[in-house]
Amino acid sequence: MAVARSMRRTSPITVFLAALLAFGFLCFLLSPSSSAAAAAPVTDSSSQLRREDAAEHPLSPPTKPFLKSQAVREDGQKAPPPVMHYNLNELSSTSESIKKGERVLILTPLARFYQEFWDNVVKLSYPHEFISIGFIVPKTKDGDAAVTALEQAISETQSGPVDSRFASISILRQDFDPPIQSQDEKERHKMSNQKARRESMSRARNSLLFTTLGPSTSWVLWLDSDIVETPATLIQDLTAHNRPVIVPNCFQRYYNKDTKKMDVRPYDFNSWIDSSTAEELAGMMGPDEILLEGYAEMPTYRTLMAYMANTGAPRPSREIELDGVGGTALLVKADVHRDGAMFPAFPFYHLVETEGFAKMAKRLGYSVYGLPDYFVYHYNE
Amino acid sequence: MNRHHAFSNGYAAYPRGKASHNTFPVSPHRFQPRPQPALRRRRQLLQRLCLIAAISTLLLILIFPSFRALFLPAVSLGLVSSAEDLQLETVRYYDLSKMQGSGSGWEHGERVLMCTPLRDAASHLPMFFSHLRNLTYPHNLIDLAFLVSDSEDDTMEMLSSMLDDLQNDADPKMSFGEISVIQKDFGQQVQQDVESRHGFAAQASRRKLMAQARNWLLSATLRPTHSWVYWRDADVLTAPTTILEDLMRHDKDVIVPNVWRPLPDWLGGEQPYDLNSWQESETALALAETLDEDAVIVEGYAEYATWRPHLAYLRDPYGDPDMEMELDGVGGVSILAKARVFRAGVHFPAFSFEKHAETEGFGKMARRMGFSVIGLPHYTIWHLYEPSVDDLQHMEEMEQERLEREREEQEQAERAERVQTLFKDAKSQWEDDTANIQEAIDKEGKSQASDYSSSSDVDSTKGSAEGPVAQPAAKEQGSAAITQEESTKERKQAKQ
Repeated sequence: MAVARSMRRTSPITVFLAALLAFGFLCFLLSPSSSAAAAAPVTDSSSQLRREDAAEHPLSPPTKPFLKSQAVREDGQKAPPPVMHYNLNELSSTSESIKKGERVLILTPLARFYQEFWDNVVKLSYPHEFISIGFIVPKTKDGDAAVTALEQAISETQSGPVDSRFASISILRQDFDPPIQSQDEKERHKMSNQKARRESMSRARNSLLFTTLGPSTSWVLWLDSDIVETPATLIQDLTAHNRPVIVPNCFQRYYNKDTKKMDVRPYDFNSWIDSSTAEELAGMMGPDEILLEGYAEMPTYRTLMAYMANTGAPRPSREIELDGVGGTALLVKADVHRDGAMFPAFPFYHLVETEGFAKMAKRLGYSVYGLPDYFVYHYNE
Repeated sequence: MNRHHAFSNGYAAYPRGKASHNTFPVSPHRFQPRPQPALRRRRQLLQRLCLIAAISTLLLILIFPSFRALFLPAVSLGLVSSAEDLQLETVRYYDLSKMQGSGSGWEHGERVLMCTPLRDAASHLPMFFSHLRNLTYPHNLIDLAFLVSDSEDDTMEMLSSMLDDLQNDADPKMSFGEISVIQKDFGQQVQQDVESRHGFAAQASRRKLMAQARNWLLSATLRPTHSWVYWRDADVLTAPTTILEDLMRHDKDVIVPNVWRPLPDWLGGEQPYDLNSWQESETALALAETLDEDAVIVEGYAEYATWRPHLAYLRDPYGDPDMEMELDGVGGVSILAKARVFRAGVHFPAFSFEKHAETEGFGKMARRMGFSVIGLPHYTIWHLYEPSVDDLQHMEEMEQERLEREREEQEQAERAERVQTLFKDAKSQWEDDTANIQEAIDKEGKSQASDYSSSSDVDSTKGSAEGPVAQPAAKEQGSAAITQEESTKERKQAKQ
């Protein structure tokens, strides 16, 4: 019983001293590692780039990360934010986007969070230090759940390897209620609900866009939260075309019961070339009515990009000029948005949301293109 | 040892109760080693396990540095920074429902974005900054945004130095929030001088470019934290220092004050300046119908007679400054709008939106999306007076007239003075001469008494006295002066 006896005799002071010694030992062991880490990023170009780009003060564009430690005035008070100069003459959006270090802002109106969506975004091969992401989430119960799941996914990515971290991420909560609570596929696509739904969607998109665009964004990629599969080179591929507005074809994978295997089918019908029938229809409409695509009640006979895909022998770089675009995946030069092209939340030439956006971009003198053979895939419920 | 009163197994040595023989069937006198508690028996084992675990973790940390990230946050309680941490905050969370904007924003810490487009505005900057410093709204809640475009003067340098001074002011309440200076040239061929700026033909394209500039400025500087956006031109001469609070108090989506400008007295003293704030009229709507898609109606020109009620003309200097008026188009000198208006997508159309562009199109679009657009007819701010070319011409003529008048006056004054000096000289000279003559006469009188001579002597004396007087007059003066002088002399002589 020698051990037990000696244990009984240890006084609290001994235990305390031992703990202190252990702590000191640990500190000694760990301190060289942290100093080594502080020196490491100097050689790491990605980390250095991130540090250089960071804003000094939290009052800064959301597309920039900011330093955790804040400057202090001589009298001990918090220093005011510095005067920042941004020369937008030097901001470019070209086909050599990576080489010129052009920043991309991915904007996503989030209704539900799918892990597949986030995994796909993380897999994008465009340098992540040039990517900022913005989300806007409605203030509903579903929205709260989505934000919780999203924050979980984000914290994992942003504390992971430096190279896969994004430059900055903003999460916005919507300041108005969505008109229909149900995000049900059937309810959502009912024609009577479409106008209110899409107007609310437009406001959400505009809120997200105009508060997060900032002074250093070159490209804006609109990506819906239910796009679960894209090529990893999506951004490079789309910027290579160097078009003001460009939209890939949005398809959906499903189980084809006839052929008993997985198959693809078109999903987004909002990318189209206008027809004389649609123009006539619009001419007869009242100022507050809108034209919708993909509904049998309203045949427009527009040429839909969804049906122009050549799935047998795709040529991914094939371009066509469009009049309306869908928003599931959409790449826009930031200049187009800066000039004022937004998503009309009111009937604009009888069009709303992304289709109205295409019209407004055209009114501002930009042309709109589509890639019928370049596919992104929508989630299948 | 106090334990001696009991047995080692813990039972009392002697039964306490009287019927104890029933309750203790086991003999208390039999020796039984005290059973060791399970915990004490396993303690040794546990201690060893802990020791082994600790040593192995330490070894692991030493051998595989990548394991450190796992242990560090837990062990160090966040005291030691993680190896991969860049000390950067990358995730931001904003609730836009908290940035709605209320009638008393300064009490709720609502942030205001103040946007000012500048072009060749160096001369206005000192005035503008004095207005900035005097604003009573809490400065730390105001974020400043400037767009410097197509400037050929030193607007940029001046702005930078003045902003640095402002932000590093000794008074901690003087410094503002986020300050962004955006530089972007739009390649404007349109001249900025008053004549071409306000000429009718240049208006449509000029206003589309202005709209583009405003949109670039706003989209680059609007943040999710803003509740209000205030557009203010740099060339405002006077405005109340409480203007932000005054406009905010109305709690409207878009609100503009009345804008006038002071004029020189010969032009009437004051004049309505901003004619872009108006209510829609039937005539204008009918006119809009007839125009093609890209046409832009501009207000204040005879080419488009719209018969709209203008905010500017409704001003009563003694009217209630809180009086409101519904508007359809607004002017851009001073606009206070809730940030949610811009978040919803309302902007300054750089294309013809319902036949309007820029701020007028902005008002139209805000109305289209159901926001309230209000003007205050009796709350006035004053725009700087920059004379137009006609005014300048007129002023030049007036200046010339004035100069001529001045020169004439001066000439007259000079002449009068000279005349006076000549007079004086002549007079004193004359007096001297007269005195001399008198003396001579007196002498002569005396000598006459002794030696009476002829009057020819007197004549020669008079002539010599007159000689030096006439000479300077003939040199400098015109004939008129001389004749005048001579005539006076003659008169005087006659008197004598």
